[in-house]
Amino acid sequence: MPASNSGGEDKRATSNIDRLIHEPARYTIMAYLYVVESADFIFLLKQIGLTWGNLGAHVGKLEAAGYVEIKKEFLGKKPHTVASLTNQGRLAFETYRKEMKQVLNKLPNSK
Amino acid sequence: MRKDDELQTIQRNVYMTFFEDGVWDIFLGLFVLGWGLSILTEGSYLPGVVFVCLYFIVWGIKKRMTYPRIGYVRFSSTSRRRIKARFVILLTVVLLLGLLAGVLFGIGSRPQWLVDYFPLIFNGMLAAIVCFVAYWARVDRFYLYAALVFLGGVLHKWPGIPWEFGFISAGGIITSIGLGFLIRFLRKYPKIAQEGQDASQ
Repeated sequence: MPASNSGGEDKRATSNIDRLIHEPARYTIMAYLYVVESADFIFLLKQIGLTWGNLGAHVGKLEAAGYVEIKKEFLGKKPHTVASLTNQGRLAFETYRKEMKQVLNKLPNSK
Repeated sequence: MRKDDELQTIQRNVYMTFFEDGVWDIFLGLFVLGWGLSILTEGSYLPGVVFVCLYFIVWGIKKRMTYPRIGYVRFSSTSRRRIKARFVILLTVVLLLGLLAGVLFGIGSRPQWLVDYFPLIFNGMLAAIVCFVAYWARVDRFYLYAALVFLGGVLHKWPGIPWEFGFISAGGIITSIGLGFLIRFLRKYPKIAQEGQDASQ
């Protein structure tokens, strides 16, 4: 039946969505890093409003997936961490946005 | 698209952090104040000296006060190129205007209208440059600063208020507004002693 086919397509479309990026905090981190070349942890913390622990955990997951590159350095005696999107991460973010747009465009109007 | 708007908003948020601390306002305010003082003391070198000193002071403040509070971000190479191009255009316009003023005043017989309207033209040019910065940086309060600078020329031409008074008043007001922004910024964003630690008051 057409209805079930449409449902199947929707399921396929949503199953393609990158769930790693779909999480709101990680999406925001990716979005901030997408519009710049790199940003340090203090900047991300202030802009996104996460705790140090949460930020570290989310960035860690993105780094493990190869989406984010982390550079640790010292400014004087203080540690300084800078994050940037990898090419893979940039591509994954663009793909995620494209797929989300497709899914949202397929939704029927409420009226 | 909504998502594109969202990315633009994020980009703008990132960009606006550069103006949130009021340091560029203070820079402009003290520069205008410097013009007023140079007219008052007839020290034509003063604006140049103030400009160079302020430039280094601004980067010092940014490094020591702004970045430890809100962090550091490096813009994309495209954005950096755009910023550089705009800066070069701005500098070229300033130099051309300076050259034009120099040529006009270098010639033996200056037209009377130029002598009469010079302060108004000069303030207008300075205001136009500030407007350009406001438009380019999309910081609306800089339009107000441009109006203040231009007002100095108008008040000198018609009610006859001393020219330097307009610069000193405008510079003082702009610096005060900038200091207000800086104080608000310092209160809003306490310094983070070290990564992983909470902000210290």
